Amino acid sequence: MKGRGVEISFGLAILLLTFIPGGCDSEGAHRRERILVAAISSNPGHLNPAITTNGGVHTAADLLFDGLLSFGDDLKPRPALAERWSVENGGTQYRFFLRRDVRWHDGQRFTAADVKFSFDSVLLRFHSRTRASLGPVLISIETPDDFTVVFSFRRPYAPLLSQLDVVEAPIIPKHLFAGADPLRNPANVAPVGTGPFRFVSYVPGTEIRYRANREYFQDAPKLDGVVLRVIPDASTQVAALEAGEVDWLFGVPGPERARLESNPKIRLTTTTISPGGSNCVTTVGFNLDRPWFSDLRTRRAIAHAMDRQQFVERVAFGNGRVADAPISSAIGFAHADDLAMPGYDTLEAARLLGAAGWSRVDAGARVARRVPGVRDGTRFVVTFVVMSSMTPYGDLLRAQLRQLGIDLRVVSLEPVVFAQTVFTARDFDMSIAPYCQGTDPQIGVQRIYLTSSIAPVPFSNMSGYRNPVMDSLFERAGSSLDVAERRRVYREIQELAVRDQPYIWIVETTSTQAHSTRCRGFGVAAHFAATATCDP
Amino acid sequence: MTRWYLLRRLLQVVPTIFGIVIVAFLLVHAAPGDPVTALAGENGDAEYYAFMRHRFELDQSLTRQLGTFLARVATGDLGHSWLQGRSTLSVIAERIPATALLGGTALLIAGLVSLPLGVIAARRPHGARDVAISATALMLFSAPTFWIGQLAILIFALGFGLFPVQGMTTAGSDAVGLRHVLDVGRHLVLPAIVLAMNELAVLVRLSRTGLIDEFARDHIRTARAKGLTETRVIARHAFPRALTPALTVIGTRIGHLLAGAVVVEILFGWPGMGRLLLTALQGRDTPVLLGLFIIISSSVVLVNLATDLVHAAIDRRIRVG
Repeated sequence: MKGRGVEISFGLAILLLTFIPGGCDSEGAHRRERILVAAISSNPGHLNPAITTNGGVHTAADLLFDGLLSFGDDLKPRPALAERWSVENGGTQYRFFLRRDVRWHDGQRFTAADVKFSFDSVLLRFHSRTRASLGPVLISIETPDDFTVVFSFRRPYAPLLSQLDVVEAPIIPKHLFAGADPLRNPANVAPVGTGPFRFVSYVPGTEIRYRANREYFQDAPKLDGVVLRVIPDASTQVAALEAGEVDWLFGVPGPERARLESNPKIRLTTTTISPGGSNCVTTVGFNLDRPWFSDLRTRRAIAHAMDRQQFVERVAFGNGRVADAPISSAIGFAHADDLAMPGYDTLEAARLLGAAGWSRVDAGARVARRVPGVRDGTRFVVTFVVMSSMTPYGDLLRAQLRQLGIDLRVVSLEPVVFAQTVFTARDFDMSIAPYCQGTDPQIGVQRIYLTSSIAPVPFSNMSGYRNPVMDSLFERAGSSLDVAERRRVYREIQELAVRDQPYIWIVETTSTQAHSTRCRGFGVAAHFAATATCDP
Repeated sequence: MTRWYLLRRLLQVVPTIFGIVIVAFLLVHAAPGDPVTALAGENGDAEYYAFMRHRFELDQSLTRQLGTFLARVATGDLGHSWLQGRSTLSVIAERIPATALLGGTALLIAGLVSLPLGVIAARRPHGARDVAISATALMLFSAPTFWIGQLAILIFALGFGLFPVQGMTTAGSDAVGLRHVLDVGRHLVLPAIVLAMNELAVLVRLSRTGLIDEFARDHIRTARAKGLTETRVIARHAFPRALTPALTVIGTRIGHLLAGAVVVEILFGWPGMGRLLLTALQGRDTPVLLGLFIIISSSVVLVNLATDLVHAAIDRRIRVG
């Protein structure tokens, strides 16, 4: 019978394929070189980090570029394209002196004109974070000579040095971008940078290849090259690492960590920095426009009802620690470590809820009795809107609040719809977000509290918190250049936030990175591979 | 089969696809979630969102946007991807070969394996072989593709190390020619088999039922009475007639196969259209989404047309025109 014959030959073909060694010669060649294969979760689409804040693009493209400054392991700014700088006129002017020995990957000389062009024509238009933070305060960027850049501000501006690294302000070549639409420039998929690696090839959906830039102006990379491999599924990434197909993972899902920990060929490291943002604090917000959350006692009661250690253990799988202040402990100069945060205390929670007018009836449910703005007899039912990836937080919170007689209804939405529901339509009672605070509270923290950031912008002031005192405190913190003074103001800010409790700060999350023991020496975040090396 | 029939059917395809395009456009715009938010990420300000909305012509009325879109499509211009900034057509085109290879191989595996199994099962209905084959088919049909896929990775890639875990080629490989073909082949085996499972199950059950029906017919009895060998009876008389429903199903299941390909491509890191579809959906990359809708729906419509024609060629009782 014909069908059978074809079937058998097909089976044989499969068997044959099984025994063919993978990649053959070419792989052999690569094994003699020091090549790092890193897994990335999304196909970046383009490799221009100046036109987007997208984590996928930055993870892939930042190795090719530099900022004026960079961050060390301690997250303090260090020289990069700028070798030194001075702060003038009480913080309204910053003068950067650029390195004179930097060349673009195509051989052209890097000058101050590239910096001015990158900011004026690209970053301040298309990089949403730089545009939103610098745009309103910046007067101009001047270039008195080829290697000096001067930023002038309307008022003293403190956080500038924290936002000039390759993630916040990558510098791109003027000679390739001037006079054309930066969003559609061919150089976006064949990028030319100044960074430690230079672009070789990009096969969409498959991989991006880089070679070491031997003329790099700082220490040249020890690796010969990097292959960024697009693997969307997190479990497949782990399997690929175990099988030796990749050497580096930016993140390991909590449940898979134990398995990798016991593998002698794999090492795990923990960091507060992830491609999506750094120093993230998972934060629960109350919709303060809802009458049942306008009473501080109700918000405080819910804070007392939460066992936050359980969130760290069961939801974050130990990836992180209980948050002990509104500002992340990773932002050392601003974090207050001895605040009186409401602890886990169900008795106190019940007492406060009762006092606010929510009394227990049969079966333990709570109903309103003289709660202002709420009809008597209304049951305490809360719509809790979450991004699908954060649903486990909702499930645990639902279980914890049930003890108190609050019925939490978890509504799980995909990220874009979540952003629209919570920040544009404001159609929620409570919600939760992984607020990433970055390296300076003026960038990542103030947006959570300012009256002016109650706006249809994702991850802005979710609760709709309005307090003029808070607004002016942030104004003061942002225009002072004295670190001790700023620390004092941020302490006041955190005390006020805890007192008003517009949010509950649950977990400072960390992410677990994994790499094969064939490789070592990884750096932080953006240029993670610049200092790394792998055995051939 | 007349030339006029073919022309008429081809002309019918045009309004069908046109209708699909309009429905797709309205669906994408009715879906919740703001594309500008997806694009700009966090930390923008209202002015930035307005600026981006203007850039992508989202500040115009829906009818005007639809009009512009249709006018462009009519000239073969699918616009630029909002996420990638490149021409939508090239963003999609570079993904087609991978999906075609994966889907084609899966279909081939499903066809080549299922039909013989169907014959074996149908020869003694409710016998031991039939029960084993039918039960397995039912299990494969019910098991979700992502689960089968994960299992396949754990057992065959990670456990026995027979196949690579992910991708279409070895990372960093510069192989060309035959080596490249073999490299792709090794990477293709697992995802193609996993994608084939569901189709295979459907086809086994279908060809089995078809053959059992055929075996009960008079012409088979006559063939056996003539003294033909059983193999000949099956190959010449039963099989071709039982094949017709299976073919129809293969035609109608192209859409289903593409849906399965989304899961398989994500799981195995296969660089095809399915993954592009998901990314475009999550990022609300409307031009790419619509482009994919047009290309996928056209291919489903055309495959169905092809099925009808092949049908007529195999089975003389069906007349076209």
